[in-house]
Amino acid sequence: MSTIREQNSLVVFVALAAMTLIGGILPNSGRAQSTPSSSSPPSFNPPPCDYNDTFYQDNGLDPTQVIGRFGTARLTGPPATGNQVNWVADSTCSQRDPDRRNFRILATTAGYPDDGTGTATDFISLLGFLTNQTAFETTYSRTVGAINGGLDGDQQNAGEVISIVNSANPRSITMQTLVSNFEAYPAVKQRLANGQIALNPCQADMVSPLAPATPCFDLSAVSAVFTPNLRQDWRFASNRNAMDGSDNNCINNDPTICGSNNDSPFGYFCDDLLGMWINTFFWYTVDPANPGATCGPILTALGKKNGLTLDGTPIVKTADELNNQLEANGCGAEGKLAFDGTDGGAVWDVCPAIPDPRAGAIAHDAFLDQVHKANGAPQNVGFTLNFLSLQHFGVFFNELTAAQQNQISSAANATTPAT
Amino acid sequence: MAKRDPRAVSRREFSKLAVSAAAAGPFLVFARRARASQKTLKIAKWSHFVPQYDAWFAAVAKEWGQRHDTLVTIDAIPVEQIGAAAARETGTRKGHDVFIFPWPPAQYYRHAIDHAEIYQQVAAKFGAIPQIAYRSTFNLKNRRYFAFTDFWTPSPVHFRQDYWAKAGLPLGPGHYGSLRGGGKHLRDEFGVPCGLAFSGTLEGNVTLHTILFASHAWLLDPNGDALFNKNVFGVVALKYLQALYRDSGTPDQLTWGPGDSARAMLAGKTSCAMGAISLLRAAEKTDASLAGKIWLQPPLLGSNGMGVTALPHITNCSVVWQFAENQAGAKQFVADMLETSREGYAKSLGFNFPTYPKAVPDLIVQLTKDPQANPPGKYSVLKDALHWTPNLGVPGFATPAFMEIFNSFLIPKMVQSVLKGQSSPENAAAAAAAEMQQIADKWKQIA
Repeated sequence: MSTIREQNSLVVFVALAAMTLIGGILPNSGRAQSTPSSSSPPSFNPPPCDYNDTFYQDNGLDPTQVIGRFGTARLTGPPATGNQVNWVADSTCSQRDPDRRNFRILATTAGYPDDGTGTATDFISLLGFLTNQTAFETTYSRTVGAINGGLDGDQQNAGEVISIVNSANPRSITMQTLVSNFEAYPAVKQRLANGQIALNPCQADMVSPLAPATPCFDLSAVSAVFTPNLRQDWRFASNRNAMDGSDNNCINNDPTICGSNNDSPFGYFCDDLLGMWINTFFWYTVDPANPGATCGPILTALGKKNGLTLDGTPIVKTADELNNQLEANGCGAEGKLAFDGTDGGAVWDVCPAIPDPRAGAIAHDAFLDQVHKANGAPQNVGFTLNFLSLQHFGVFFNELTAAQQNQISSAANATTPAT
Repeated sequence: MAKRDPRAVSRREFSKLAVSAAAAGPFLVFARRARASQKTLKIAKWSHFVPQYDAWFAAVAKEWGQRHDTLVTIDAIPVEQIGAAAARETGTRKGHDVFIFPWPPAQYYRHAIDHAEIYQQVAAKFGAIPQIAYRSTFNLKNRRYFAFTDFWTPSPVHFRQDYWAKAGLPLGPGHYGSLRGGGKHLRDEFGVPCGLAFSGTLEGNVTLHTILFASHAWLLDPNGDALFNKNVFGVVALKYLQALYRDSGTPDQLTWGPGDSARAMLAGKTSCAMGAISLLRAAEKTDASLAGKIWLQPPLLGSNGMGVTALPHITNCSVVWQFAENQAGAKQFVADMLETSREGYAKSLGFNFPTYPKAVPDLIVQLTKDPQANPPGKYSVLKDALHWTPNLGVPGFATPAFMEIFNSFLIPKMVQSVLKGQSSPENAAAAAAAEMQQIADKWKQIA
């Protein structure tokens, strides 16, 4: 049995061979894409595909209420640009994973993990959006594994029932409850077309008392969270609440070991099988041009550390920056859209994080969905470097050799227009 | 090997006795004529919200007394009088041997024995001290346990599913924004206000402390100083409460006495509540149809990074006083009562959640298969309650200063002053923060 290291080496070798064929690394941004041919390198960590309808239903979601579902809608348009497409038909999806349908996702959205590091290492597939609580099933039943007869004609097995009863799964958990444990943080642009900065969303139930209600930025359409409408890249809490402790949550009963007892029982990768999130929108409640005596130094320090968003406000990468620096001092606020759909907009996202983006999960025809500056350069080139490294070498940028890093850096620079 | 005292009772036998004693009927005081040699054990406890529980408890205590040649007396005290009763006893250093509080009695640590030995005694069978017990009963200054806690009570959201479905939220409000929006819709369209308790009662206190905590508006910092109002979270939370009350509330929320918020929901006058499931149990007893319409959901999703969380409605804390006349018997009784947790859970109709998971090992099965649940499985949402329930005092411990803030109803008073228009959120928060600091300073001097 080959080790992960050996398999990584295989991917690297194949990737290098492919690079040789194309004469070097070329970022595929803006280039035409194609479905991998049968000669595509074998991959033990296949790239993401949409779930099939049954899997949505098994997990408590009505697939017909998934707005903008990849494979059904949004072939082109944001995040795809130019000749890009967001997804392609790929018959290998269901072969590799019977819970998937044959649409492979090319649009790979970047985000910061919510682990306090602020690293540019999360990559997800924004498959679709929910705008209303009614998208969660109230009743559903499917029997799996039943055998009547079998090969010998005498095998009998009643099978297992996958059910949703009163909105709860067999573990008696509603999908809404489960998903509420995983927050995604979209940063919608606050600067309006007229150049004015809006310090609150237009949704009345989300207005922060820290700032005037008008002018406001609108969240009433799903497209509000599309990348062209974001001032910075997403932040995701994918690492929160793993019951097995893999996220370093403390699950020990020994009080000298654990400092807290309110960890959630849910783990993103083991419980939230559709990879869903609830959107927690966050915004600045002060004008960066006139932030005041309290917020001014905070914004200055944060901007110096992280850089600026497209609005001219500091980029937020961690929970500490948002909660303890901005929100605690009245410089920022957050809110969620109404579950009844009255606010419109994306209340929840179906956007599974790629568990491990290395070793094949980022396909050669995938493209990076990240926030770009007005001049077309990536806002955070760290995402670009990691994406290209993963795509071409199957590892993160910091795992490359110096020579490989140079190659990737050159490729990343090629995506940045001269200023 | 030591000979076993023929009068002694094993834990297993004690548990069996507890079961049989449950049928013995309500005995709150056992005023038998005591033999001269017979010991006495005087217990004061808060009156349980599920009445039949106290009758069962009395029967169990009686049986325990018989096995230990002890005359046991029990005084059940209404929750709202517990603080005054405890203050009287500690003031005179005279009273009961065991005093059972519905919250961590951190203020009385100087009068309590170190309960570490009770925790150690039960550890062999039930395991190490659980987090909620540790943080609810440990005094960081003197490194002693001022109480022993054997059960606690979660505070889920109760909502009228039929009402909230009309507001487009059949699964309940989910987060505080939808609570306000959906609550407004229900009051505007159907005249039914949201029914969170904002008064100076235990349920009002727990509800408001929960809302503040879920808004990141913490009260004390790790040094024990007031943190409240040193950031904007407190004022923002007060403004949220102002808007919630204005958009979806009723003046009754400010005047409800103990249990009134539950009664209002049982009467169909409100659409939601936070608190113990005794509300739902009362509905099941009196009106099965109504009970079927009251659904549970985990606490609302908080803001500013706080997630899904709610403080416990009850943290059952037994204190053996230093001045207890029968200290040995008191310690033994408190430890032995843990053996009855499974029966206690049943007799409390699922109100008493075990501090030690091993004390009710089939808790999840019982919740899932609760025979009264309509719709079936309704109580299953509580199976993860320990994960979303931190201790009173969170993010720190249940310190004397925190518990004095809690027991003086400082938070309900602050909120009421805003909701009644007597004070702005900014002024109310500033005044409350000043009071918190005074309390913190006082306890630092005592320490």
